[in-house]
Amino acid sequence: MNKVVTTSKSDSDQPKKTIRQRLAYIFGQYTIQWLLLFAAIILSVINPNFRQFSNIRNILLQSSFIGIGAAGVTLVIINGGIDLSVAGIVGLCGVVLAMLVPKIGIAGAIIVTLILGLILGWINGVVVVRVRVPAFIATLGMMNIYLAIGFIITNAKVLPVTDKTFRALATKSFFGFPIPFLAMIVVYLICFVVLKYTFYGRFIRAVGSNQMASFIAGVSVDKVRIFAFMLVGFFTAVACVFLTGYLSHGQAIMAIGYELRVIAVAVVGGTSLKGGSGTLIGSFTGALFFTMISNSLNLLGVGAYWQYVAVGLIIITALGIESLRRRVLGIT
Amino acid sequence: MKRTSRSLGQTTGVKHISKGIRFLQLFENLGVPMLLVIILIIIAFIAPRFFIRTNLTNLLINSSILAVTGYGMTLALAREGLDLSVGSVQAFTACISASLLGVTNIPLTIIGTLLVGLLIGIINGLLISKLRVPPFVTTLGMMSIVRGAALLYTKGESVLITGHENYARLNSGRILGVPVPLIIALGTLAILYVMLRHTPFGRHICAVGGNESAAVATGLRIDRITIAVYGIVGMTAALSGVMLSAQLMIVDGTLGVGLELKAIAIAVLGGTSLSGGSGNLPGTLISALLLSTIGSALNILKVPAYYQYLTTGLLLIFALGLDTLRRILVNKIALRR
Repeated sequence: MNKVVTTSKSDSDQPKKTIRQRLAYIFGQYTIQWLLLFAAIILSVINPNFRQFSNIRNILLQSSFIGIGAAGVTLVIINGGIDLSVAGIVGLCGVVLAMLVPKIGIAGAIIVTLILGLILGWINGVVVVRVRVPAFIATLGMMNIYLAIGFIITNAKVLPVTDKTFRALATKSFFGFPIPFLAMIVVYLICFVVLKYTFYGRFIRAVGSNQMASFIAGVSVDKVRIFAFMLVGFFTAVACVFLTGYLSHGQAIMAIGYELRVIAVAVVGGTSLKGGSGTLIGSFTGALFFTMISNSLNLLGVGAYWQYVAVGLIIITALGIESLRRRVLGIT
Repeated sequence: MKRTSRSLGQTTGVKHISKGIRFLQLFENLGVPMLLVIILIIIAFIAPRFFIRTNLTNLLINSSILAVTGYGMTLALAREGLDLSVGSVQAFTACISASLLGVTNIPLTIIGTLLVGLLIGIINGLLISKLRVPPFVTTLGMMSIVRGAALLYTKGESVLITGHENYARLNSGRILGVPVPLIIALGTLAILYVMLRHTPFGRHICAVGGNESAAVATGLRIDRITIAVYGIVGMTAALSGVMLSAQLMIVDGTLGVGLELKAIAIAVLGGTSLSGGSGNLPGTLISALLLSTIGSALNILKVPAYYQYLTTGLLLIFALGLDTLRRILVNKIALRR
């Protein structure tokens, strides 16, 4: 939210700015949002199928699976960490959920899953912060471990979920909006509140931009970092509940590749991997943007293989624009 | 964590390094080899069939292919970057080499394939240095693009390499009883090791990776160094693509999925830090051997394949946890003096 606070300050200090800088500022501050808007307008004009209600509903539905996961990952990246274990967390939570739904009912199963997510996130945090393994390697290792546990407890089988009410959670609509999409909005609101108004949350950004300074200022850096990893675990488990309902099965490898996709969404949304800067609204838009692009490529009849190329080009282009903007504005 | 590394730096400046620290430094260098020896001894007891010739050959071939990719990744990590596109590059170049074999001879095929890898690496380097897109994102994008290119190039089908006995010898041949892939891996190691340790270019890589602004201040041409590093990463990935295609003799666009994280894992296990400034190439080879040994032993013991996830994960955490323990001990000894 306050990504460019420093620039707006310098704005008032020196009002004389070149037109080029002003234009770059206006179009630059919300790069991804502008891109989303333009792309949506162009696509609705050229493709009548795109603007149909059912298609838009589809986009909202599909973007929510990746968007909910990206919310947590955005927080941990802002905090200066990274989490590659989300695919493992989804896998393990998914199989546990699929096992528990027939046994203890939907509500109980969901609660257990969310608690499990919190615990897995806490384990990540402890390994990174207390054992001091670099986050990249620690979470990579933990992903492998979670996946293995998911395989071992299911014997590498696919567990079907037949409960209709549970599946309805992920497929039905509420006032025209898919339930997972509404959940995504709630998740982002929660993250916003956590980041702005809670004790630990307010330090997430501070620790991310300068750990040493935060430490000297008396912030309990370790606790804040563990808290950030717990948030990732929790929100990944939320994403997992809907994904399991949508796929109507639980399986350890149900989310392979998810970790890099959510990071890509966060990064395209303007979150810097160096920590300290990033916005939730950026990740929200990023999730919509990615889903919309792959949806429209489908509608335009672009083959699956070209979609890999397109997605890669989009990632690089979006970040290329971002770094150009920073250079034009003189932000380093 | 920052405090630890700083006091560690101070201790190395002390003239009289205590015996304790010297022991720990020795341990740092020998940690992974020791682990490998211990595991081999355990395997000797519980799975003696591991040591039959065909299995050992297979093991050496697999770890050579993995290690070659790992070398490039080690250099990228020393430059304080990383390359997520190596898995896709391996698949793409394996497909390229398969089709080049159809039109030209073997040496030209290998050279052409390496050039393709070099080109992709240089594009990565250009994007990272000139456009200043972070390496993680650049190579993540490139991973997707090259994967798409590989699938498009093969139209999603498998390509069979037939009638090239000599090409298969790149994999199955032996020189003085040593499998050719291992010779390739050792040769590449020798070249890159000398380059990293004993040439100005190698020292520049570590200098830029260790402290970029200091390197700028001393007048190093950072952009060129970055482009060259990613070019080398692309070439090593392409070399592993050639080796893989010679091993399988049937290639498709889905090879090498997940290789990027494996390559990073072996580089880090081998003692290369993610924070840049140094690279341990021999360590990368030994870690590749370690990972393949564990995988092969589990296969022989008929443990389900998914237990390999568990061993990889535990090994990573365990090795890096030990590293932390070592740093804490070094600090304690340093403080006592």
